[in-house]
Amino acid sequence: MNKWKQRIEKMLTQHLELPSDVILELPRITTIGQIHAYIENHKGLILFSESELRLRMKDGYLRITGEKFVLKMMLPEEILLEGKIKELAFIEA
Amino acid sequence: MKHTQDIFFTGSVKIEVTGHHPELFFDLCAREGITVWNVIKINETRCVGYVRLRDISAIKRLRRQTVYKLSFLSRKGFPFLIQRVLRKKPFMAGLFLSILFVMFLSNVVWDIEVENVPPEIEAKIIEKLDEYGIHRGAIKFTIGTPSDIQQRLLDDLPELLWVGVTEKGTTYQLEAVEKTIVEEPEQPGPRNLVAAKKGVIVDMFVAKGLPLVKVNDLVTPGQVLVSGNLNEEKTEEEQDDDKEKNAKPKNNVAAEGEVIAETWYEVETTVPMKANYQTLTGENETKFHLQIGKLRIPVWGFKKVDYEHVYKETTSKPLYFLHWTLPISIVEEKWNEQASYNEKRSREKAREEAVKQATKQLRSELGKDAEIAFQKVLHERIESGKVKLTLYFKAKEDITKIQPISQGD
Repeated sequence: MNKWKQRIEKMLTQHLELPSDVILELPRITTIGQIHAYIENHKGLILFSESELRLRMKDGYLRITGEKFVLKMMLPEEILLEGKIKELAFIEA
Repeated sequence: MKHTQDIFFTGSVKIEVTGHHPELFFDLCAREGITVWNVIKINETRCVGYVRLRDISAIKRLRRQTVYKLSFLSRKGFPFLIQRVLRKKPFMAGLFLSILFVMFLSNVVWDIEVENVPPEIEAKIIEKLDEYGIHRGAIKFTIGTPSDIQQRLLDDLPELLWVGVTEKGTTYQLEAVEKTIVEEPEQPGPRNLVAAKKGVIVDMFVAKGLPLVKVNDLVTPGQVLVSGNLNEEKTEEEQDDDKEKNAKPKNNVAAEGEVIAETWYEVETTVPMKANYQTLTGENETKFHLQIGKLRIPVWGFKKVDYEHVYKETTSKPLYFLHWTLPISIVEEKWNEQASYNEKRSREKAREEAVKQATKQLRSELGKDAEIAFQKVLHERIESGKVKLTLYFKAKEDITKIQPISQGD
């Protein structure tokens, strides 16, 4: 059942050209060089420290590591991260 | 970023969250729709961030459901700034005093401008204004309204034809027009003097012209009394000698003179047998109120006034702040004691009153030069508490009326 849903969603994005982040409930991550990362559509914060940010996604989580992290703005489902970003990793559960 | 643009005005608070994984509390806030910004993790158990002042109660409510400890570190923004300023007493006192001072200055006469007037009249006007208490530095609400000033100036300075007083903020602008002495009117054209009323002539004084009537003549309205045509008699004698008459220059003058005649008048008056009238006894009490909106605060005159009948005069003077009229005004109430009189007149008294009244009425009709003498009561009747009288008067007055002679050209 779940696989069916996934296939339909993929088809919708490919054939109807709908934005994939909305349909697939995936995070949209915008980075400005190393200094900013703007993450939309995340599913919650798991961990935040000066050097690491972990955000829950639909399957697994997103891990951003770096230095001097500050959460410039927190809105429901949106986070603006500031600092020196070194690494961005998708970790599947 | 737009979300935090107005925080200066709404105020923001720096909060510190202590506990295991403190950042999760901020996440909880964000999920509840509370904007959080500048979140920094200091160490494993402490995390600081900024929230809006208006969200504080919601955050406190959220915290109660969790195990985190919350402390408020600093407050920023306009609401706190005001709070801080309000706490500084000397500063507030100074501010209040300065507002009072500006208010005082807004209610002071700063300048008086007199325009369109020759210097000597200007000096007179300023002198008069000084007398009324209108000068630089005078408090404005001790001064009457512009129309009052206008009237007083006109009454006191007969050489003024018109005065316009306008109050422009703290400046009084006066415009005045001087009376110009009217030149002797142009030589009047030829004219006759005719009778305006029926009467018997008692006295005549003719300065110019040919009198056609004599003393003790009875004249009717329209009758020529003094003719402006000096040839009139001759033309009667030499009617056939038309040529000669035409050759002569026309001998017309402007007749001038006074013809005093005795005239008669019937005047009807009604006098009530009962009279009711009120006078002020002269006793009065002045009260001052400060009126703010609809609220009235007594300032002066707390005494209870125990007059039986009161005639109240109220004048309200608004206060100004710069050029705005404040909703505050000073209300002056003058309570005058009033006494009412009831008088019952006897028939004789009523008649006397009627004669007085009728004489007054006739005097206003005939002018002050006429001589009026009461003759007798023609008719008298009492009707619903009033005495109706028909009075007969004799008067001596000038009955001449000017009638221009048309020159026929």
